[in-house]
Amino acid sequence: MSIAVIRFPGTNNEDDVLKALGKIPDANPYLVPSRKGLAGLKDADAVVIPGGFSYGDYLRAGAVASVEVIVEGIRDLAEDGKPVLGICNGFQILAEMGLLPGVLLPNDSSRFICKWIYLKVCETNSIFSENLENAVLRLPIAHAEGNYFCSREQLEALRDEQRIPFRYCDSHGETSTESNPNGSLENIAGVTNQRGNVLGLMPHPERASRQILGSSDGLLILENFVRAIK
Amino acid sequence: MITKEELQHASKVLGREPTNTELGMLDVLWSEHCSYKSSKRWFYLFKTTADNVALGIGEGAGLIDIGGGYYVGVAMESHNHPSQIDPYNGAATGVGGIIRDVISQGCKAVGLMNCLRFGHLDKPHNAYLIENVVRGISEYGNSVGIPVVGGEIEFDDSYDENCLVNVVCVGYVKPEKVVRSSARTPGHHLVMFGSSTGRDGIAGVSFASETFSDEEEENRGAIQIGDPLAKKVVIDTLTELIEEELLDGLQDFGGGGMTSAAGELARAGGTGVEIDLEKVPLREEMDPSEIVISESQERMLAIVAPENLDRVILLLEKNDTPHAVIGKVTDDGHYTVRYEGEVLARLPISLLVDGFPVPERVEGKIPAQTDSITWFKEPEDYCEAVLNLLRSPNICDRSWVYSQYDQHVQTNTVVDLGENAGVLEFPNGRLLAFTSDCNSFWCSLDPQTGTANSAAESLRNIVSMGARPLFIADCLNFGNPERPESYAQFVESVRGLGRFSHDFDIPIIGGNVSLYNEAVVDGQNRRINPTPQIMIAGIFNQGFTPIKRNLVTPWANIFLVGETFPDLNGSEYQRMVIGEVKGEPPKYRPNWEKRSMNVILEAHERGLIRSCNNVGRGGVAVALMKMAMKSEYGFKLNMDYIPGTVNSMAQALFSETSSRYLAEVTESNQPEFLELVEKHDTMVCELGLTTTKPVADFSRFSISMDNARKAFTEGLSRFLE
Repeated sequence: MSIAVIRFPGTNNEDDVLKALGKIPDANPYLVPSRKGLAGLKDADAVVIPGGFSYGDYLRAGAVASVEVIVEGIRDLAEDGKPVLGICNGFQILAEMGLLPGVLLPNDSSRFICKWIYLKVCETNSIFSENLENAVLRLPIAHAEGNYFCSREQLEALRDEQRIPFRYCDSHGETSTESNPNGSLENIAGVTNQRGNVLGLMPHPERASRQILGSSDGLLILENFVRAIK
Repeated sequence: MITKEELQHASKVLGREPTNTELGMLDVLWSEHCSYKSSKRWFYLFKTTADNVALGIGEGAGLIDIGGGYYVGVAMESHNHPSQIDPYNGAATGVGGIIRDVISQGCKAVGLMNCLRFGHLDKPHNAYLIENVVRGISEYGNSVGIPVVGGEIEFDDSYDENCLVNVVCVGYVKPEKVVRSSARTPGHHLVMFGSSTGRDGIAGVSFASETFSDEEEENRGAIQIGDPLAKKVVIDTLTELIEEELLDGLQDFGGGGMTSAAGELARAGGTGVEIDLEKVPLREEMDPSEIVISESQERMLAIVAPENLDRVILLLEKNDTPHAVIGKVTDDGHYTVRYEGEVLARLPISLLVDGFPVPERVEGKIPAQTDSITWFKEPEDYCEAVLNLLRSPNICDRSWVYSQYDQHVQTNTVVDLGENAGVLEFPNGRLLAFTSDCNSFWCSLDPQTGTANSAAESLRNIVSMGARPLFIADCLNFGNPERPESYAQFVESVRGLGRFSHDFDIPIIGGNVSLYNEAVVDGQNRRINPTPQIMIAGIFNQGFTPIKRNLVTPWANIFLVGETFPDLNGSEYQRMVIGEVKGEPPKYRPNWEKRSMNVILEAHERGLIRSCNNVGRGGVAVALMKMAMKSEYGFKLNMDYIPGTVNSMAQALFSETSSRYLAEVTESNQPEFLELVEKHDTMVCELGLTTTKPVADFSRFSISMDNARKAFTEGLSRFLE
């Protein structure tokens, strides 16, 4: 199970993702600097775009990275049905690429927010949320632009096609306004593509991968991602 | 600027007048910031050695051996003057600079801290400063991908014209990968890399070594501009260079730019350097004399042996890192600067780096303070008094600030911000706690006692979590040393820190001095409170889980360890009641402090304590509330007996006597805990019990936890939303 973990200049969660995936049996994660282009993805069965500040997030989060050559390789893999996971800045890049609907606007506080949040697992037909029916997961967020927004039509499609596996909630699983950390539409924390093999997720599963860090709930999502690799 | 006597001295040594370029170089390296010419003479008072100190004060970062094949590195520095002028860039480049100090030693940077001082937030300019300083730290540190694990903030009018931004970076390195800041071998190449050079930060250190006048704006060109993306690329590149052991020496371009970086390398190696300025990659047209002193950010200077040069260049090119071979190490003991063949400067290293004439400084007299508390009165409304303390900007919830910092990147963070100390896990499995403290009000009343007690408070922060002290780093912020009263504050404070380091046998392995934090406003001289920031790191026993301060069990006993005296002078309660601090601050009592420390540490080792807090600003009342507000529980007190000499409810609640802890101990562990207290010859009282009801019941009055939390959280946010 070869998993390409992409590092754009300015990506800074690549080691964390490699470390977390490395704990999962059969996962074989390896670092791919984006300058390697399409060749870097030759053997990949799946891709993770980790968080960070690709190209300094200059211009707009994810915007510069989304036009790099390697991105076309990621698009091809996604179209082949291979699992693709974008975390935080990775989600922003996937949205900029158009692989996922919607945009990540600046947080409604207009500030960077780092804190622990709860995630409600909503739909269960996604490969990423399998076996986590109605679970409440504890993960950290860390972003300045995580305020998910999309058009009414897109939102209806996301709902109808059960493509919103994760929403922000409180510790009891209630998706209230108070538990929404950044102003996201309908507390959306993650969405998938139509085919269901591409997930964009603002919270950081790799940062909740060991009990000593405060939670290992994120590992459940990463395990699902690895299990989905065929 | 360089003084007349200094110029005469330089001319005498050289036997000629210095050239323009040389003047610029001497000016920056002989500035207070680079030379420590007023402060260095007192460092002998510090304890600086210990068996585990691998590298003490003097290079980019201090290194300490934590076993299992790892050193921990630490550096601490101020970026006060730039942050006052341009808070966003000043703070950002402060973070950038401190990271460079740590990585230039070969370390991987794994944690940041920041200690901030501002004037009161009801003045809009101060709110502007904190907003932008925090944003600068946040955007830079978050982008580079280093978590913030600790820090503190204080507010006082004395910082209106001089905000303080002190930053800490910690890292780790395997002993065999340590890179030294020295150029030992003539013939080796000087390779600079990381970023191009521009006109930003010209002579920033000289500007930081003077007091502010009314023309602050003029200095804007002296501020450096940060580029976190370039820094991340530098870090990635450096990781590869260090892994392959290709560097013979390394120094970052910090204060004093190329003059300082190459000069320090040559001095440490007992060599000389020659540099050809036309080889330096520039981002704009510059005068050669500006290139040698520019403080443009994100630049490193490596010493590379000829046989490694090709490989180094290859790695730099592969990573798209701007670079150039700018000169060589020589054996002539001189710093030679050429531009297209013409020699612009040729200074003996011994003159340039520390050959300045040591200036005379006069230590004034610190005004004596009284121990009288005639101002003291019981509050009319105890409940309101406690809520007002919780709301005080110097006590309240800081999450408005720290929620803007990434605390979890790198996935080593075991304890987040908002506790007594942040805790990181290191690759050998050891957990280390990091904290910093300074009560500048105590220091303003008695710099020596205040400094020692600030250090003791830092110590209690890590001890309450169960960690043993490992090392100290400091950042000493004071006024103009040319004024006897400012200089006396500095010297007294160094005495206090020196005493503490010897009393507790903790080595000081890193630090920085920032003087000239004064400003002339309408002809009036305004000086900051003496602000010696003392950062202490502690290490936990293997397998120990750090103890936090939130209450965790109902119907457990809450013990107060240590005696309480009417130490109300210098307290937050005094400030609240009379609007200022005066009198003798709480006494520094090293022996008592040690005894209560030993009780807590041993009790932690035996697993007797469920939660623990140090008693600091705001006294027992605030310490207890902080334990309860973060928990699901409340407490019920019985304050009939408090060891010591306090004789009223308010004295017992608000005294800031040092060497005290609060510990939550379950009924079954109580006998063993009390035995320990007796064994270490300490006093203790059972203050009360934890309860399931979220109410703070002080027996004579009570506060609902919701009201307390509201006061606590609105302390800062009311000024900043």
